[in-house]
Amino acid sequence: MITLIRIELFKIFSKWRTYIGFMVIAVIVPVINLAMLAEGERSLDFMTRNLQQSFVFVGNLLNGYLVSYFILTSLAVHIPFLIALVAGDLLAGEATAGTYRLLITRPVSRMKLVASKFIAGLIYSNLLVLWLAIISLGIGIVFFGVGELIVIKSSGIIIFARGDVLWRFIIAYGFAGLSMTVVTAIAFLFSALVENAIGPIISTMAIIIVFIILSAIQIDFFRNIEPYLFTTYMSSWRMLFDDPINYAEFLKSVLILSGHIVVLFGVTAFLFNRKDILT
Amino acid sequence: MKRIILFFLLTGVILAQNNKSDEILNKVKENFNKVNDYVVNVKIKVDVNFLKVPESKAEIFYKAPNKIKLKSDGFALLPKEGLNFSPNSFLQGDYTSILDREENVAGNDCYLVKVIPLGDKSDLILTNLWIDKNQFKIRKIESTTKSNGTFSINLNYNDSLKYPLPSSMVFSFNVAKMDLPRGITGDMNEEQNPEKDKQNKSKTTSGKVYVSYSDYKVNKGIPDSIFDEEKK
Repeated sequence: MITLIRIELFKIFSKWRTYIGFMVIAVIVPVINLAMLAEGERSLDFMTRNLQQSFVFVGNLLNGYLVSYFILTSLAVHIPFLIALVAGDLLAGEATAGTYRLLITRPVSRMKLVASKFIAGLIYSNLLVLWLAIISLGIGIVFFGVGELIVIKSSGIIIFARGDVLWRFIIAYGFAGLSMTVVTAIAFLFSALVENAIGPIISTMAIIIVFIILSAIQIDFFRNIEPYLFTTYMSSWRMLFDDPINYAEFLKSVLILSGHIVVLFGVTAFLFNRKDILT
Repeated sequence: MKRIILFFLLTGVILAQNNKSDEILNKVKENFNKVNDYVVNVKIKVDVNFLKVPESKAEIFYKAPNKIKLKSDGFALLPKEGLNFSPNSFLQGDYTSILDREENVAGNDCYLVKVIPLGDKSDLILTNLWIDKNQFKIRKIESTTKSNGTFSINLNYNDSLKYPLPSSMVFSFNVAKMDLPRGITGDMNEEQNPEKDKQNKSKTTSGKVYVSYSDYKVNKGIPDSIFDEEKK
């Protein structure tokens, strides 16, 4: 099994499109940091203008943690596209390349084959999130240093002590990895159904965008279906930047997303096992 | 005739009260003016329901008559009116004062002096000062401002320090609740409840800040450069 996973990882990282995600993050994150360097103080003043009316405060609030938090918030829709770009090609790419039959004729069960491809996709998506974590925290801390993290919610302002921030980010990025694994599973499922990677990529993004739009519409009907949309739980990493943390809700989000992964992979494996390979 | 006598009597009483209150305030200022400058370590604990801040440590630098600076290696936050508790900050410009009554504050007999700034320039509308009868230190302040509502400051002193500088302060206040557009905070996914938003928007909220002062260094000399704005 390890050998199969290594082979799949080799295939993934042999394709240039795999590096698009890493390059995009390597470009966007420094650009955001430069923008914050130029305009960050003004944005922070605007964010804290109400606080400044009544209080005097000192401290390095524009720091690497704040910039990383902002990046994590902003890239929540864009990272799934970079994931779908690779995950959508995992099975459909074999059909496009005409290597499906060659693959199936090997003395490896279909279940092992589909599992190894899925695990390779999972490794890719989590590596991408890890890359995002390293780049955004690393560059943020180099440019801005560390300090207290200010999080402004509609219910108020929370300022986390500088020693109380990093562990939250570590778990938040871990959760982001789980969220992106759901995206991988969706793209992987679509990839098993078609013979061209474009379809799974666009379908995955369409589902994510439509679900996000449905969640944002303030109509009772859509609010009722919101708990059944996986996108509702993908931003649950924000719960880690709350005081106190609602661990029960956070765990619920983890279990729901994990359940999605298991079900989606299960359906993919079932369909792949029964698939007639005609190309 | 009786009315004229009554008028002069009342005027005399009021003038006497004014003179007495001015005398008390002058003694307080005189007492505080022994302090040319000080540096003090502070621990600040904020208890406001819309604001969660970790307990912070900082240093306050003061130089007479009105230079004050808050400095910290980390983050520190203090209400604006609580930063400078010197009598001069409440008794600047033209004002009128009345000695209202005597009252006991935390076991200390105090004069209650009401101070009303004259003119429109001051942000203060009315200030009540509870002044220790024996030591001429301010024990309590209650002030109403144009911009930030009403606040009160309770000051406790350590008798071992010969200067009228507090060992702890409790600052109680009301502020208008934060009103930030949701998009700015990035919390686009946060559950939105228009009814709750309406209620919250109109509320003011109360809060307390607890400050403890320690390691005063008084009249040791502080360069003016400490109070210069740090270049960003």
